[in-house]
Amino acid sequence: MGDRSLGLIDERPLDRAALEAFVRSSADGAVVVFEGVIRDHDHGEGVSALDYSAHPEALGFLERICGQLAEETGLRVAAAHRVGALVVGDVALIAAVAAPHRTEAFTACAELVQRIKTGVPIWKRQHLASGATEWVGL
Amino acid sequence: MAEVRYFAAAADAAGRDSERLEVATAGELRLHLIAAYGDAMARVLRSGAFLIDGVVSRDDAAPIGARVDVLPPFAGG
Repeated sequence: MGDRSLGLIDERPLDRAALEAFVRSSADGAVVVFEGVIRDHDHGEGVSALDYSAHPEALGFLERICGQLAEETGLRVAAAHRVGALVVGDVALIAAVAAPHRTEAFTACAELVQRIKTGVPIWKRQHLASGATEWVGL
Repeated sequence: MAEVRYFAAAADAAGRDSERLEVATAGELRLHLIAAYGDAMARVLRSGAFLIDGVVSRDDAAPIGARVDVLPPFAGG
C-alpha cells in the first residue's frame, strides 16, 4: 500500500473525518464518501442487528484493493470496514475517493465499494426481528 | 496432513473452527467436507471458496499444502 491509499478494519466506530482528510488534496475538486449503513430490513424481513466477522488476513485484502484502485486511477483512495456487533443505523463501511472532477470520483468510489464487497473475506450474521439468525449471502 | 480452518457459516456447518485432514487437492477436500457435514456445508461450498497460500481459489485441482481455509461467500459492506 502506497501513500495514496489507506485500508482499515476496526471494531470501533469508523472515523469518517480521518478517511476524508486522508484522500483530500488541494488538487481535488470532488470528494465522494460512501457509507454502508445497517438497515432495518432485508428480503422483506425486519432486521435488528448484524454481527460482522473478518478473516485474520482481511486487512491485507482490503489494503490491496485500495492500493490497486489508487494505482489504476491515480486517485487517492481510503476505506474502512467495521467488525463486531452492529445495530441498525451503525456504519459498517466507509469508502472515500478524491478526484479533480466529480465523475471520476463517483465512478472510482462505486468501483471501490464493489471490489470490497466481492473481494474482502468478511461475513455477517443477521439477526431478524422474528428472532431467527442467518448468514447473509448463503 | 493439512490444517483446515473454518470461518463464519463454514464453522457453523462443521461445528468446529479447525481440524487436520489428509487431503491432496481442493476437490478432494470439497468431497470430504460434503460427506462429513452434509447439506449445510454443501451450501457454503456452492458459492464459497478456499484460501490456499494466501490466494482465494475455486479450482478443484489446486493442491493443498500445510493449511487451507474454508471461506463462505463474502458479505462485507
